[in-house]
Amino acid sequence: MKEIKLKVNGIDYILNIDEDIRLIDLLRDKLRLTGTKEGCGEGECGACTVIMDGVSVNSCLVMAFQADGSNILTIEGLEEEGKLHPIQKAFIEEGAIQCGYCTPGMIMSVKALLDKQPYPSREEIRKGISGNLCRCTGYNKIVDATEMAIKYIKEEGV
Amino acid sequence: MNLNIVGKDILRVDGLSKVTGKALYPQDLYIDDMIYGKTLRSDKSHAYIEVDIKEAEKIKGIIKIFTYKDVPINHYGVVFKDHEVFCREKVRQIGDPIAFVVGENERVCKEALKKIKVYYEEIEGVFNPIDAMREDSPKIHGDTNIVYHYKLKKGNIEEGYSNSYVVVENTYKTHMVDHAFLQPEAGLAFVDKENILTVMVATQYPHYDREEVAAALNLSQEEVKIINTNVGGAFGGREDISLQIHLALAAYTLKKPVKAIYSREESFIAHSKRHPLIMKYKTGADKNGYLQIMEAEIIGDTGAYASWATNVLRKSGVHATGPYFIPNVKVDSYAVYTNNLFAGAMRGFGATQVPVAHEQQMDILAEKLGIDPISIRMKNIFKKGSVSATGQIMLESVPIDRCIEEVVKNIGFSMSVGRG
Amino acid sequence: MELQEVYKGENVNEIIRVLSIYKNEAKIIAGGTDIIIDLRNEKISPKVLIDISNTRELSYIKEEGEFIEIGGATTFTQLIENPLIQENLQGLKKACSLVGSPQIRNKGTIGGNIANGSSAADSIPPLICLNSTITLVSTRGKREVYLEDLYTDMNKTIREDELLTNIRFKKPKPEQILTFSKLGLRKALAISRMSISTLLEINKKGVFKAIKIASGSLGKYPMRELEVEEFLLEKSPDEKTIYKAAKILQESMGKRLKGRSTLPYKREAVIGVFREAVEEGVNWSCERNKIKG
Repeated sequence: MKEIKLKVNGIDYILNIDEDIRLIDLLRDKLRLTGTKEGCGEGECGACTVIMDGVSVNSCLVMAFQADGSNILTIEGLEEEGKLHPIQKAFIEEGAIQCGYCTPGMIMSVKALLDKQPYPSREEIRKGISGNLCRCTGYNKIVDATEMAIKYIKEEGV
Repeated sequence: MNLNIVGKDILRVDGLSKVTGKALYPQDLYIDDMIYGKTLRSDKSHAYIEVDIKEAEKIKGIIKIFTYKDVPINHYGVVFKDHEVFCREKVRQIGDPIAFVVGENERVCKEALKKIKVYYEEIEGVFNPIDAMREDSPKIHGDTNIVYHYKLKKGNIEEGYSNSYVVVENTYKTHMVDHAFLQPEAGLAFVDKENILTVMVATQYPHYDREEVAAALNLSQEEVKIINTNVGGAFGGREDISLQIHLALAAYTLKKPVKAIYSREESFIAHSKRHPLIMKYKTGADKNGYLQIMEAEIIGDTGAYASWATNVLRKSGVHATGPYFIPNVKVDSYAVYTNNLFAGAMRGFGATQVPVAHEQQMDILAEKLGIDPISIRMKNIFKKGSVSATGQIMLESVPIDRCIEEVVKNIGFSMSVGRG
Repeated sequence: MELQEVYKGENVNEIIRVLSIYKNEAKIIAGGTDIIIDLRNEKISPKVLIDISNTRELSYIKEEGEFIEIGGATTFTQLIENPLIQENLQGLKKACSLVGSPQIRNKGTIGGNIANGSSAADSIPPLICLNSTITLVSTRGKREVYLEDLYTDMNKTIREDELLTNIRFKKPKPEQILTFSKLGLRKALAISRMSISTLLEINKKGVFKAIKIASGSLGKYPMRELEVEEFLLEKSPDEKTIYKAAKILQESMGKRLKGRSTLPYKREAVIGVFREAVEEGVNWSCERNKIKG
């Protein structure tokens, strides 16, 4: 067992973990933050995407002990005071969701992209989500939703 | 007319739960006292087996290892009951389930999987459906590998050929495809307070699952409940049973909640695939490009289990002509067992593969006749009042012509390019 | 062997000390994008993992006179975004930006790409063209080896107690250009089926004054394509010549990959990938020569 400290969605945790678990196992099994999904376990599908110290990562390709001292944001941390994040709102309104299994990871990738690059082109949005697979909705609606989110963020000045 | 729904943007009822990460899929379910299960699968395509679980059972934390001996009725399947809950004597494909290990956590289950000894006595397999159709081929189940033969005949074949100016004959093959739905199979089963065996799973058919779980455990349907969670994509790949019976059996026997999650790798070998087809086509048209005859032999590889093969290959046969009026037609389509991974339902259900053949035939005919590929299609497409090869009369809207015209306009198709 | 201990390496001294104790029972984990998959598949089973992803000393890109030095734990994203890896180093930037996906580039490191030793590692052919050296440090001392030799010379491979601390290369002259071309099965998340990098210079006379070519996945390891370089040197970059050069490459990779099922496909594809890499450089040079008169 190893003790690690980390911040998840603004909350500080001190946890005892098995050496061989991954960040995704810590989030899901220990903290029961099951919004982060496992689709492939090898960084191909992006369903497990979270934001770690400001950048998007596949939480299935990070060992939990590596996250010691880091700041993690998951899908559960996007709402603020019960208010949806503009990206979440836009995904619902544009119908950029079907089965929903890729959605949390997809939204986290869009968030990481817009944090870095607030006004991406459609091509840049596609590049930004190129590490996330969707098997039902297709990517057009997701790109549309991202454009709508950009508009909302600008309006709200988030 | 005022419409409430049609033409309006409607928000998904489950949209909110999905964008917030609150929507629950089976892998997201945790309950007290939950134990875990893992499946031991065959790594051989065709072999007699003997299974020794003694060593594995001794591992600390292992609660029980289920094999065919523990299953009241060991057979299931959506049409034919040709699947075994756990293989008894023989494995028929890589990925066939042999045992289900239940333990206190996933780690001990994984360890136990390595300790189960399977003695394989390999037997000759067959991997090409054409070979599998021969009388002297190894048999997967029973004494023939031909699961299904669909026959369609219309008009007079000889007349069709004699009226043709050009006849083209070609063989087309399509490959196996996986649905690759994003959420790997997972489930949780328990006996509820009212003594009802409950299986929480992401499925396309909770009602079939209930029938099959009840039948395998020799229970009445009233004693079984299936709760469909959120489903992380399916596309046909969740029509067959995967882990439902394994989980139900374990929960019912042990009276404890049992959870299982497949890895992506296990998911790939555990569920069905799109049928690979071999399509032999002979199509003839007169000098003006009007189709006169089409003969097709379609052979579908259904792998080790039939699943929906009958329905899929029927559909391939029905759709074999494509959207064209042909006066003389003969189609034979077959579903054939092999030792490949089993094939079943996948979007389109057999109608998806045949255009690879009938559309290539149209292009080749057009080229031989010196007609462009658009005109030959416009001459032959179904219109209102057309009769299909199966005798269906098109009474309602049949706007294929408009569709083709739009496509031509939008792709900037030039007739001179078409002539090549 | 079960994983028993995990360390977060604070600094190089501590890391090499731990390595010297555990040797082959320890594994360095940087980005983790390859090693975690191997751990899960039980392809490797180290007793100890040493994380270097947060080791500040190993994460930097700096200019030192004529040289650029990159810390071993620098991520692909850091490289792509760094102002030093632009303009005539665009081939390195392109190679790094075609690795995996944004998530993988955010974690994956250049040192890991090298140490993992895959023939398909995207960043290696451009670094070979640049004649890069890598620094390997252990408690026994420090040594520098040419990246190119890492794969061919048994004495130059990374030893079990060594840490790859940096990669260093001389900046190409302003009139030289580094290019990269890759064939993957998709636009993103695609392991290279093959890749070609070139470092070239076309002089006022319009001939190749300098040309270096390195390939990935066209042999057991990434390597220079000396025969092709020799052929192109002092020749004019016209279409015929480039095609002839591509045929020479086709011939030599054909010998190396003899008997592999992928060869018939690669033989055809290599022509296009090679042309793209060379033409990218030729176009850049012609454009530059035009401007500079």
